[in-house]
Amino acid sequence: MSFDLVIAYSPMVLVAATAVTAMLGIAWRREHTVTVAVSVLGLILALIAQVVAWGVIPVGTALLDFDGLALLAGLLILASTLACAILSHRYLEAFQGAREEFYVLLLCAAVGGLALAASRHLAGLFIGLELLSMPLYGMLAYAFNQERSLEAGIKYLILSAAASAFLLFGMALLYAQTGEMQLSLLMASLNEGLGLWGLAGIGLMIVGLGFKLSVVPFHLWTPDVYEGGPGPATTFLATASKVAVFALLLRMMLSAPLAQADWLPALLTVLALASMLVGNLLALTQSNLKRILGYSSIAHFGYLMIVLVVAEGLAAETTGVYLVTYVLSTLAAFGVVILISGNTRGQDAAALYYYRGLFWRRPYLTAVLTVAMLSLAGIPATVGFIGKFYLIALGVEAQRWWLVGGLILGSAIGLYYYLRVTVTLYLVAPGASRRDAPDDWGMRAGGLVVVIVAGLVILLGVYPAPMIGLARILAF
Amino acid sequence: MEFAFYLSGLVAVLATLGVISNPNPVHGVLYLVVSLVAVAMVFFALGAPFAGALEIIVYAGAIMVLFVFVVMMLNLGQAAVAQERAWLRPRTWLGPSLLAAVLLLTLIGTLWLGDGGMLVQGEILRARQVGIILFGPWLLVVELSALLLLAALVTASHVGRQRQQSPDSTANREVS
Repeated sequence: MSFDLVIAYSPMVLVAATAVTAMLGIAWRREHTVTVAVSVLGLILALIAQVVAWGVIPVGTALLDFDGLALLAGLLILASTLACAILSHRYLEAFQGAREEFYVLLLCAAVGGLALAASRHLAGLFIGLELLSMPLYGMLAYAFNQERSLEAGIKYLILSAAASAFLLFGMALLYAQTGEMQLSLLMASLNEGLGLWGLAGIGLMIVGLGFKLSVVPFHLWTPDVYEGGPGPATTFLATASKVAVFALLLRMMLSAPLAQADWLPALLTVLALASMLVGNLLALTQSNLKRILGYSSIAHFGYLMIVLVVAEGLAAETTGVYLVTYVLSTLAAFGVVILISGNTRGQDAAALYYYRGLFWRRPYLTAVLTVAMLSLAGIPATVGFIGKFYLIALGVEAQRWWLVGGLILGSAIGLYYYLRVTVTLYLVAPGASRRDAPDDWGMRAGGLVVVIVAGLVILLGVYPAPMIGLARILAF
Repeated sequence: MEFAFYLSGLVAVLATLGVISNPNPVHGVLYLVVSLVAVAMVFFALGAPFAGALEIIVYAGAIMVLFVFVVMMLNLGQAAVAQERAWLRPRTWLGPSLLAAVLLLTLIGTLWLGDGGMLVQGEILRARQVGIILFGPWLLVVELSALLLLAALVTASHVGRQRQQSPDSTANREVS
């Protein structure tokens, strides 16, 4: 194994070692703060290693391919895992029972995400995906004494297992047809005509991966799981997990030009349009912030699927920019929910009712949530606008008018519910039974994370050159 | 060797149908064991004796042990004995036995016709080759699987915890 490869592996190894260290620490003595500190330290080291690995790409083995895409996805996964770990600290302080296992699961899932984002082989794909999902079952059901959390965990477990079965069956059929397990060779064989079994295999794989991305019509689990799961687990599900799966899908689509198989882009177009419209329309009537964010993520990945359909030219750069914007905005929004919920026991304070008049109590936190909502809606001067701009430019250049139309229509519908949340924040506060962030939230690490993320949303929205430069360098 | 492959495959499909169509879980498990053994036969026919042996040891073996545990945990009394007697009717055991007999005949036929090394096509994949692949190029997959099992274990230990338990006693339990 060459030295370059060791460097490319090092983020994954560091995170895995941190997970084992955290577990051994738990076995010796339960110290919540120490566990968080170890996890955060390991993740920061892994982030540094990921930046160092920039110098050695592209390297790879038969299983993993460390290219720019994997590196960018890895950076996003590690950064959002880091944010989740810091935000979990305050959130879990109020949790009755064992708190420390959460970080072990979080770190294991991060390793799975890193492997998935870099995999170029069906075996790496499957193990990465399972390693990403398995800890999520535990994280979602972490507060198992609350009905909703347990429900979310079991729902995700069963549906995700069914999706994995679809994926595995699809892989088996494709392998039977082509005899290949390398993703690039598999995609290239699509051009030679697949026959019935191969088509069925591709279809089953799309079902499996579409479930993980919660693309319509495989989205039914999303709102319930988002609502029920503990805040940090949902945040991880909405950011790191989706980034990893999307990076893998993009690698598949970019690996070979589909000259003869134009049915696949057509199929993806239909899925993308359905996700944009259904996601946004269903979000309109929701009165729970986490559910709204769940539907919003369905819609956002519908928009992003334009990249999969076009899969040429600026596609990789667009993905980089859009994923950065999506992760930043989502982290800010969920961060506020976690901070508001973390102070008290019981279910997360996600009902919009709790946010009525938040501005009069917590003006800065409200500003963060407002910025996040505006960014998700794609208002100029926030980072969300840059991402949408890239997507529309890509769609127009490739003359995919249906998709561009869907994006514009979806964004128009989306404005309504994003602004509805924003307006709620500034209404007159209700009298009794409110839940609130702790007074010293700004002094805590979690508060700092939320403020930094919101600052980045504005900063990169006004001056996007660094983000675009990063995406451009890493996309090739 | 082809007849062994197809016959075992057929037995596996029929036995699995028996698993999902049986209202009684214990009867379903009888079919399940036959199905697992049939899949192991398929592996043998394809020239992967190591995978076949693992299938028998891990799946059929582990499932059987699991059910022994379940039976041990149940409080068996007179009613259970009566129940057992009622279960000993032919229509309960005839199906699985027939399928198992087909498998046995296939196995005997294969052995009769020649040595055990025959297979559908390709080379025989013995434990040695499997090990070389697993701990050579596929080492990463093995490590990731280990992490996957760790995560599953931590999840199970957390969710399976008693509701009202002080953190200290759970900590002790984890050490042991």
